[in-house]
Amino acid sequence: MVTIGIGERSSRLCNGLSRRHVLRLGGTGLLSALTLPKLFESPASAASDSTAKARACIFLFLEGGPPHQDMWDPKPEAPAEIRGPFSPIATSVPGTRFSEHCRECAKIAHKFSVVRSHSHADNGHMTGYYYVMTGRRAPFADGEHPIPTNEHFPSLGSIVSREMGAAGKLPPYINMPHPMSAGGPGFYGAEFAPFVIEADPSQPDFEVKDLGQIAGLTESRSALRRKMLSGLERERQRNGRAATMSTYYGKAYELIGSPEARRAFRIQEENSTVRESYGMTQVGQCALLARRLVESGCRFVGVDVPGWDVHFNCFPSLKEDLIPPADRAFAALVNDLDQRGLLENTLVIMMGEMGRTPRINAQAGRDHWSMAQSILFAGGGIKPGQVIGETDKQAAAPTRDPVSVNDFLHTVHTLLGIDSAKEYSDSLGRPVPLTDGGKLIPGLIA
Amino acid sequence: MWAVITKPLSECGLDMKVSFKIWSWLASLGIVVVAFPLRADVQVSPARVVLTRAEDCQQLLVTEKSGERERDLTRDARYIVREPAIIRVDADGLVHPLADGATMLSVIADQNETTVSVTVSGVANPPLVSFEHEIVPILTKARCNSGGCHGKAEGQNGFKLSLLGFDGTFDYEALVTQGKGRRIILSAPPQSLLLQKAIAVVPHGGGKKLDPDSPQYLRLQRWITQGAPRSVSGELPLLSIDVEPATIVMRRHEQRQLRVTAKDDSGVRSDATVETDFLSNAPHVVEANSRGMLQAADIPGEAAILVRYLGHVAVCRVIVPRDGQRFSRPPESNFIDTFVWDKLERLGIEPGVPIDDAGFLRRVFFDVIGTLPTAAEARRFLADPAPDKRSRLVDDLLDRPEYADYWAMKWADLLRADKIKVTPQGTVGLTRWLRKQFSENQPYDEMVREILTAQGPVQSESPVAFFKALDQPELASRSISQLLLGIRIECAQCHHHPSDRWSQEDYAGMAGFFTGVGIKKLPGGTEAIVARRGTYAKHPRTREPVMTRALGAKEADFSGTADRRQVLAAWMTAGENPYFARAIANRLWAHYFGRGLVEPIDDLRTTNPPTNEPLMDALATHLCQVKFDLKAFTRTLLASRVYQLSVVTNASNQDDRQHFSHAFPKALPAEVLLDAVSQATGVPEKFNGWPLGTRSIAVWDNRMPSYFFRIFGRPVRATVCECERSNEPSISQALHLLNSPEINSKIAGRNGTARRLAESQLSNVELTDEIFLGTLSRFPTPEERALLEETFDSGGATRRQAVEDVLWSVLNTKEFLYNH
Repeated sequence: MVTIGIGERSSRLCNGLSRRHVLRLGGTGLLSALTLPKLFESPASAASDSTAKARACIFLFLEGGPPHQDMWDPKPEAPAEIRGPFSPIATSVPGTRFSEHCRECAKIAHKFSVVRSHSHADNGHMTGYYYVMTGRRAPFADGEHPIPTNEHFPSLGSIVSREMGAAGKLPPYINMPHPMSAGGPGFYGAEFAPFVIEADPSQPDFEVKDLGQIAGLTESRSALRRKMLSGLERERQRNGRAATMSTYYGKAYELIGSPEARRAFRIQEENSTVRESYGMTQVGQCALLARRLVESGCRFVGVDVPGWDVHFNCFPSLKEDLIPPADRAFAALVNDLDQRGLLENTLVIMMGEMGRTPRINAQAGRDHWSMAQSILFAGGGIKPGQVIGETDKQAAAPTRDPVSVNDFLHTVHTLLGIDSAKEYSDSLGRPVPLTDGGKLIPGLIA
Repeated sequence: MWAVITKPLSECGLDMKVSFKIWSWLASLGIVVVAFPLRADVQVSPARVVLTRAEDCQQLLVTEKSGERERDLTRDARYIVREPAIIRVDADGLVHPLADGATMLSVIADQNETTVSVTVSGVANPPLVSFEHEIVPILTKARCNSGGCHGKAEGQNGFKLSLLGFDGTFDYEALVTQGKGRRIILSAPPQSLLLQKAIAVVPHGGGKKLDPDSPQYLRLQRWITQGAPRSVSGELPLLSIDVEPATIVMRRHEQRQLRVTAKDDSGVRSDATVETDFLSNAPHVVEANSRGMLQAADIPGEAAILVRYLGHVAVCRVIVPRDGQRFSRPPESNFIDTFVWDKLERLGIEPGVPIDDAGFLRRVFFDVIGTLPTAAEARRFLADPAPDKRSRLVDDLLDRPEYADYWAMKWADLLRADKIKVTPQGTVGLTRWLRKQFSENQPYDEMVREILTAQGPVQSESPVAFFKALDQPELASRSISQLLLGIRIECAQCHHHPSDRWSQEDYAGMAGFFTGVGIKKLPGGTEAIVARRGTYAKHPRTREPVMTRALGAKEADFSGTADRRQVLAAWMTAGENPYFARAIANRLWAHYFGRGLVEPIDDLRTTNPPTNEPLMDALATHLCQVKFDLKAFTRTLLASRVYQLSVVTNASNQDDRQHFSHAFPKALPAEVLLDAVSQATGVPEKFNGWPLGTRSIAVWDNRMPSYFFRIFGRPVRATVCECERSNEPSISQALHLLNSPEINSKIAGRNGTARRLAESQLSNVELTDEIFLGTLSRFPTPEERALLEETFDSGGATRRQAVEDVLWSVLNTKEFLYNH
């Protein structure tokens, strides 16, 4: 990254600029002191820890394909069969409008940015999900439910956990409230698989598997067990047996043994005002729990929010069941992080694997449409209050600044200080870079 | 057809004499160095440098020889040029031309002076630049055509090159005619996008790849100035590359410069060091940088440096001995020990100590039958005074039904017995057939012949289901090459293999064996694999037909056979096949020793050599000698002292990861671990629809829902690679073992071990012994006894609770969770 200093103020001129833009700048003489090559160092190598602000990422994934035109990219001028029944509303950013059911996000539109021009050509759920989380086209047919194998590429969460490591006693990569189907470690192997919370934090009896108190086991017996185990391990080392085995048992041990770490999972300890601000829904409470986990050092929380594949009679369920909980969860999370001073270092993303068809179908639903999608970004060093990219009058395809899957992934890596060009060997021994190319989303990074 | 294999295994044995010579020569080096330091002698090569182009360069090598010991002085020497206008020599010992003419060059190193004559031509009147020989290597070395960039299948930003420059015609098209002619601008060469992107004066996603004053940039520019010719008259194909030195003994922390020389068809040699890619297979021992300089680390060992230039590969083998190590040679049980001790002696690595009886018992149970010994079995074995009890134990285990269960499970993974892919009936049929093969100890070559030529109903007790999984000729061809020959030809589907000899031609040639395989619907909704006549496969790029032939063999002759696969099976299992025995020997070695002689275990190639070549040869020979009797081969492996080493390390071998100077702890496969926990706790796992007490290793259903299997990495059977089974630990696994209701309910089970022991008349000491024997297969040490005694005395808990707590503690030790 190159910073041009003008007195005290500095503005970062970087990959966000289009080539034409820079050539024009180059002509003005402003840059004459700078060698152009330096300015255009590889976007990947330009990223470094020193400039990246995000230390963690919360990834809210609306699985099934949220209808972008009914949420963050309304087209009120389009014919009724395209614009749908929802009306646009003004937001806190003059000129930016969302659909009327995104009212919580509308209030804080100045705190995040929307990319309206995400677009790719994979119209399947499982394959699209895989594409979005790995940057590679799926090696399986849509409709198959593949168990992740080492033939697959690692997902964004596994990459982040591998590159950033743990920052506390919590696992660096967590999924909830079930595994993300495309969130696996691929050829990285189980070491970089997500720790999965398979429970709904909005339920009163919510408990994380294998982290609760074993029935009938008193605290004193637990303590005794731990004391005996560490005694046996110590004896064993003294006997000269291999001490080279994994440290993972140590980490799990810390997790169980540390009241603070266990407390991170205990969403019940949040006061009811906070809990209700997120909404007492699955997505709301997952978002709140994600905040707690990130506060305790988790690097990447992937929240899978199912139910968005609205082919039939979609508007009542969008209006009642789908949009308001997600809208509220995102807005509450951003506000909460902001109030706690964590937003600067926490990247929050909300998206799905595809958008939905411009034209409402005969069953009053919308079908798969990956050519146009919206992504919400907040915190973690992004420049908020923007709308980046634009779709055509029917919200069918980007007309400005199209963003590919690998552009998206490369941008997220860069925000987190990860070098997208770093290579690992896949199961065949081929060197594979973290992303398959990709450039920064123009203007997103502050 | 298989008479033309390049390196015949004469009667099942490679020519071992040759490799012995090399190794005994290397062995002598180590000793000579220490004992007789001789007067140093400095050698400079080449003695005569001829540079014929403005951007040529020549790597000098300055080597001090003292007896057999060599030291690289290339970067320490002083270079004095008589006529400084003609050449310059940089700090790395690289000679660059400046002007046409001749000069002498003095190389001063270690008080020796050597003179080199240098002739330079082609600077004033440069000859035409060869696209194939001079431009493509620049693109490869700068990684323009790498898999992460323009070399990948879809290119990068609309510009695609062939991967690593294997297709010159394609690359020329891409540069000269595509891209609206902007990539190469003949009228204004510096404006060519190729040059501007390379030095990043226009934005380039890959950043700056070349310096504008580098020879590479100048050569690209000159090529364009000359009209960007596709070829130069009289240019000859590259014949081979040589790397110097090809075998090296290095001291720790030492550096060594390599030189690569390319030779064309007429024998003309030119230096290619700067344009060559260097890749070490053991960077923790020796690293290679992009200039071909090797850097030895602190760890003694061996490395093979892959050297790649213009589609040709060569290998430089490096050995880094630990100096000053005394070596007391342990006794030998069989040839395995001979070869391993030889190697360790040469490297100066002291072998570890033998494993005790308890450790041996537990290891051999897990390795051979995937099963934890019971307390009674442990007690009996430990008390047995017979001196041959270890070999008798191995014999017993090989005859147990669990041997067939365990190895059938392992091979069902490899033969892709996935019930979704091949139907539940197909999975059952394949698993039952495998179990029969192992329980009857069918010779491996016969087993493979049956696999390769399988036909009939998918659900029959046969290997037919494998071909339901391999439903495309190319998939069958590459899966079978990898599984049975240890050759990964998948790369050659899209491009020439980057580190082996296989081309797209070879890829298609192999696929032709499977073009006759088809699936036929049977009445009743079932299916059968049928073998029809078959035909050639098409070249993946040109779509031209390619004659069917096995890897490295002549064109196949199908006269008199209805099933092409029979010809392949005969070639594969013939005694002189150079791959077949080595591949299975290495696979079994890796299973028992925790690491292959070649890693990854199914990637055998010249550029990825075994860490102990004579041992690899001897194992393959032995397997042939025992006529592929897997039990006999296993007995040989297990009888060796090397197998019977402990995991305990010493100062000299603690860093050794390649040479088997001590045992490696092995992760237990998911099924084996769950069985071990169930057996130790006395509470069997309930599998839905299976009789209570069924072992995990006997369950054919690879999709049986199980949290335990999921987090412990049971494979899906989506590939023929053993690497699909994940054995990395994770925090979820640890939490599950430490703190899950599932495991805890086994520990506290009503009919479980803890309850049974607590309700018995056994004393606390006897109880503890019983728990240790049933989990760790040994008695506790006095310290461990004392530690656990406290539990019983702590008062708060009942006797039953105390026993549960002890069992929990032992189950969660790493000693229990690993095979060591």
